[in-house]
Amino acid sequence: MIRVQELEFRYRRSDFVLRVAELEIADHERVAIVGPSGSGKTTLLNLFAGISTPDRGTVQTAAERISSMSDSARRRFRVQQIGLVFQEFELLDYLSVLDNILLPYFLSSALRLDDAVRTRARSLAADLEINDKLARNVANLSQGERQRVALCRALLPRPRLVLADEPTGNLDPSNKHRVVDLLLENTQAAGATLVAVTHDTEVAKRFDRVLDMAALQ
Amino acid sequence: MQGSLYLAWRYLRHHWIKSTILVASITLIIFLPLGVRVLILQSARHLTARAEATPLLVGMRGSPLELVLNSLYFGTGSPEALPYSDVDALDSMGLALPIPLYTRFRAQGYPIVGTSLDYFAFRDLTVSRGGMFAMLGECVLGTRVAEQMGLGPGDAVISSPESVFDIAGVYPLKMRVAGVLAFSDSPDDDAIFVDLKTAWVIGGFGHGHQDLAEASAASGVLRRDSTSITANAAVVQYNEIMPDNIASFHFHGDVGSFPVTAIIAVPPDQRSSTILRGRFEESSGAAQIVVPSDVMDELLGTVLTVQTFVLAAVVVLGMGTLATAGLVFGLSLRVRQRELMTMTKIGASPASIRWLVVSEMVVVSAAGVALAFLLTALTASFGPPVIRAVFL
Amino acid sequence: MSRITVVSLVVICACAGGDEPRVSTPKDGDGTPHAIVTNYPLEYFAQRIGGGIVQVEFPMAGDGDPAFWQPNADAILRMQSADVILTNGATYEKWIDQVSLPMRRVINTSASFTERYLEVVGTVTHTHGPEGDHSHEGTAFTTWLDPGLAALQAETIAEAFSGRWPANASAFQDNLTALRADLEQLDQDLRSALTAMRGVPLLASHPVYQYLASRYALDLESVTWEPEEMPSERAWRAFRDLLARHPARWMIWEAEPMPEIRARLRELDVRPLMFAPLGNRPTDGDYIAGMNANVRRLGAVAAQ
Repeated sequence: MIRVQELEFRYRRSDFVLRVAELEIADHERVAIVGPSGSGKTTLLNLFAGISTPDRGTVQTAAERISSMSDSARRRFRVQQIGLVFQEFELLDYLSVLDNILLPYFLSSALRLDDAVRTRARSLAADLEINDKLARNVANLSQGERQRVALCRALLPRPRLVLADEPTGNLDPSNKHRVVDLLLENTQAAGATLVAVTHDTEVAKRFDRVLDMAALQ
Repeated sequence: MQGSLYLAWRYLRHHWIKSTILVASITLIIFLPLGVRVLILQSARHLTARAEATPLLVGMRGSPLELVLNSLYFGTGSPEALPYSDVDALDSMGLALPIPLYTRFRAQGYPIVGTSLDYFAFRDLTVSRGGMFAMLGECVLGTRVAEQMGLGPGDAVISSPESVFDIAGVYPLKMRVAGVLAFSDSPDDDAIFVDLKTAWVIGGFGHGHQDLAEASAASGVLRRDSTSITANAAVVQYNEIMPDNIASFHFHGDVGSFPVTAIIAVPPDQRSSTILRGRFEESSGAAQIVVPSDVMDELLGTVLTVQTFVLAAVVVLGMGTLATAGLVFGLSLRVRQRELMTMTKIGASPASIRWLVVSEMVVVSAAGVALAFLLTALTASFGPPVIRAVFL
Repeated sequence: MSRITVVSLVVICACAGGDEPRVSTPKDGDGTPHAIVTNYPLEYFAQRIGGGIVQVEFPMAGDGDPAFWQPNADAILRMQSADVILTNGATYEKWIDQVSLPMRRVINTSASFTERYLEVVGTVTHTHGPEGDHSHEGTAFTTWLDPGLAALQAETIAEAFSGRWPANASAFQDNLTALRADLEQLDQDLRSALTAMRGVPLLASHPVYQYLASRYALDLESVTWEPEEMPSERAWRAFRDLLARHPARWMIWEAEPMPEIRARLRELDVRPLMFAPLGNRPTDGDYIAGMNANVRRLGAVAAQ
């Protein structure tokens, strides 16, 4: 699913350079990336997603050399193939739960919003136990519920790859385990590859493989 | 684009206070100059409509503006009077229907307009309650006078003395209200109308008193012989014209010398109007003839010049408000940087982001423009009457 | 009926009428030409000239003297709605300055001969203050008793009708011609009947025959007596003084005087002569018939 070779990424405002000589993540694999703050975990996810492009080397995601694509191609690829889950959830407070889940379809013409998608959104919300809150404003939800909304949003386009940046970072212990369960179950059910960045070793243990940033560089 | 529009609408709806302020600002920017201009134009049109409906006005030589304002709008102050013989002279020319006006007196602040019955047909005024005045001493009220004084047919209104200290001059006459005119949205709504002769009675040119031949009037007789009786100041004069004393009312002196403050001249056609104006202009007599619409156009020209300055000030204010609204938009975008970055990460193109922001501006602007035009339309329909009712 | 009684009745009626609420009377809804007159002779002339085209209305009710009629508000409102208001002029309508009428629709039928108005001798005017303005209330108004003046009044009526309804001008003119012929005949008859009385002193019970006297050069003096009211002794004394300088044998009356008056007049060798002024509608006949009856009575006297 993901292949990285001779990757080098220089930060604009610091001297830190992210280097990954080689990295491979197989399809359907569930990988946790761990490392201290500032070790480049989020940057690595951005490179996998095509949000950032390397200064050197190649990133291949889902057999596509994403690092060589144009901006518009990368965006298109990302919205269709990759689901993103953020630490701060990044939900829009002025939208309802359902509208937050459908957000990628509002933003990109690469995705077509129709009744089938709406039905699938409701089904996904039911799986993640938030279907009774679809009309509510997200500001009225708990942290755990908000992360589940973010998870629905990431999974709705049926991505082949789900990238989660500290998905449990803002959750209390009970919600943390529940969200990890849902993340693992639903990505497996969707047949997607899962790469999650976490600094929580307990969470990391639940993944198929744990990659240490120190070991990668 | 549809998605961007939807997101823009949801954003604006959620932040309704900010959105309302922005919409209100844009509304004001557009409405203020439009509304001011519409109000001024409507008011000017209303004023000029009355002047345009009055073809010609004859009065004593002097200020045409004072003549027009007093005769058409019943302003305070009274132009120098013409003799009534000028009305007959104008009639005998056969070039216009003369409608005399005598607007010297007031009753509790409302102008008393002495005129002929032709005035009402000319101004298309109808009686909504009661009837037209028929007898000396009767009056009809403009609708606003009736409302504000709480009067109706059968009630009475008393003319105001011109001067508290001039007890030998114009004295109050108690007039019976014969009727109330229908609303006409004109200065006629705020006036009291009487027959010209009743106005002359108020002015002291006519009166009623005891029959000097009767014994009861003896104290009022100064001198008596076989053919004449001379009355003194003690003779009892009536200050209310009633059915049982109306026969005693009479006028002393030559009616032709009695005063009118103006004559509305209504020519049947343009040719007659031109000839009539020519005759007055050639004449070296004491009277002048004016075209009220020309006089009002000159006055409004001055007013509209002032309007330009007002509009310029409003436009400058509007530019400032627009800049403020732009600043609010800009600051809002800065605050939403993270949100917009998330959208980019999810897959929104720069164009989509731009559309989103533009959509918000478009929705706010469209709402502001629509509201501004609605307010302008309402101002055009209701503004002048409301202003006249509340402030005038 | 005494003049005072008539005036009182009119005033009472005016008072009663004035208390009623009133609404402006609209003009005749069907557009029928409508003229209002202020006395019977004008009604007669207007009806003759108007034919069946103009609806002529004489609003005074009853048999009083229209010269002393005080129209109430309803009558004035009715006049306001008329197409033409025909007045006699010559101060006949004492109320004209006390009412509101549309200026151009008021036609003074005697306006064409104002220079021929006659003053009433012996009336009392009143003034205010030693040097104040004064009013003349002594213009004689029974212009219709002079057929020549009556014809001029008729011409004014025809002119007014023709101006107002030009489509019928030809009919009005024809009717005027016929009326003028009747008035000319009346004039001849009166002249014949009164020729014998020229220069002969005559008396009148009321100062209403000025125009008759003027046209036919009658030597006429008037008192102010009512046919049903016995004059006072002082009045009889004044009457005898009048007879001394104006030795009349005939006295013209508006109506038959009461027997007591006739008796006293007989003692003074004065005989009454009826000449109806026709200010109001006659009980039978019309203006021409009434004047012809006056002519016959005059003729009977002239034959004596």
